[in-house]
Amino acid sequence: MKENNHNHLPEGQILRAVIDEQDLSGKEQQHLRECSACKRKVARIKDGLQAFGKKAGQAVPPLVRPVRLPSEKPARISHNAGWLPFFGAAATAGLLVFFYFMSMEAMPPSGLIPMQSQENLLEDESLMRQISEMVENPLSEEIYEISGENGVDFDEDFLQFVVPEIQDDFQSEIFIQGGIKRC
Amino acid sequence: MSLKVTALVEKARGGNRVSFQELVNIFQEDIYRLAYYRTFSQMDAEDLTQDVFEQAYRKMDSLNDSQRFRAWLYTIAVNRCNDFLRKRKYLALLQIRSAQEQDDVPRDPDTNNNSDDRIDKKRFWKQVKAVLYKLSVMEREVFTLRFMDHRNISEIAAILDKNESTIKTHLYRALNKMREHSDFFEEYRESIS
Repeated sequence: MKENNHNHLPEGQILRAVIDEQDLSGKEQQHLRECSACKRKVARIKDGLQAFGKKAGQAVPPLVRPVRLPSEKPARISHNAGWLPFFGAAATAGLLVFFYFMSMEAMPPSGLIPMQSQENLLEDESLMRQISEMVENPLSEEIYEISGENGVDFDEDFLQFVVPEIQDDFQSEIFIQGGIKRC
Repeated sequence: MSLKVTALVEKARGGNRVSFQELVNIFQEDIYRLAYYRTFSQMDAEDLTQDVFEQAYRKMDSLNDSQRFRAWLYTIAVNRCNDFLRKRKYLALLQIRSAQEQDDVPRDPDTNNNSDDRIDKKRFWKQVKAVLYKLSVMEREVFTLRFMDHRNISEIAAILDKNESTIKTHLYRALNKMREHSDFFEEYRESIS
């Protein structure tokens, strides 16, 4: 491509060259090297932008209040993640308290003896004794005497007299036979 | 980045306050300008510059590569500015802060004395705003970093955490939209050169 030919770089490629000439194809790069018109276009835009940047820098009011560093570098605790160690410690303490009370609950009653008053203990013992006695002898002594459960054996003859066995009862047999006859 | 800056960054990462103060002295003007280009307010730009360096000072431990200090600092600055602008937009919507307040008068006494210069600057920033607000957020960001903050493509890619071809695409779109304002850039080319 020669300078006098009309195949100049299109506007879009001129802008690409302003951004980065390496983005153009080999042919376009060669054209840009040889064509002073395209080279001038690219240079004009680059200069305009550079001048604009320079002017912008000059138009910024001066920094009146320079940066002052904080007196001390803040501890990590003030960072966003600073709550983590505290949360961990609080959670651990909470778990310890929880397990302490859980173990207290699971402990046998003997473990609580020191916490109970002596008076309550004696009362409990007396009640337990009464319960045991009632299990062994549910009847009072007076009732027990007349209850017939006081170890006195029944007389077999007496029982035979009160409740005779049917087959040995002659009168009953006659009575049954008679009854049958009567029927 | 220069060896001096890298050495200072290394020391500052080790907790050396004096070294960090030197870094502040080197970069505070750049960060202030960056903030001004986005807020167009001297007071806000100064506050933001202070915030940026305080944040950088606190987070110095998180910088892994000393060579990337400038890109890292610019990333903090761009993010802080974007947060600020978002907040300002909401406040303007709620009419807590009026649009007029955003363009405060420079407090520099020399500037105030020279009224012609002041008017010229005011006119300039009005035109800049008119041009920049025709661009999308990303195009404006890329354009500002490239032609006002004078960062190269690879630096911009590092600052915005994008790849270079994405940056070039946004830059191309920005320049394409600005073709209609070419007179504006010509004017400053001629006035400076």
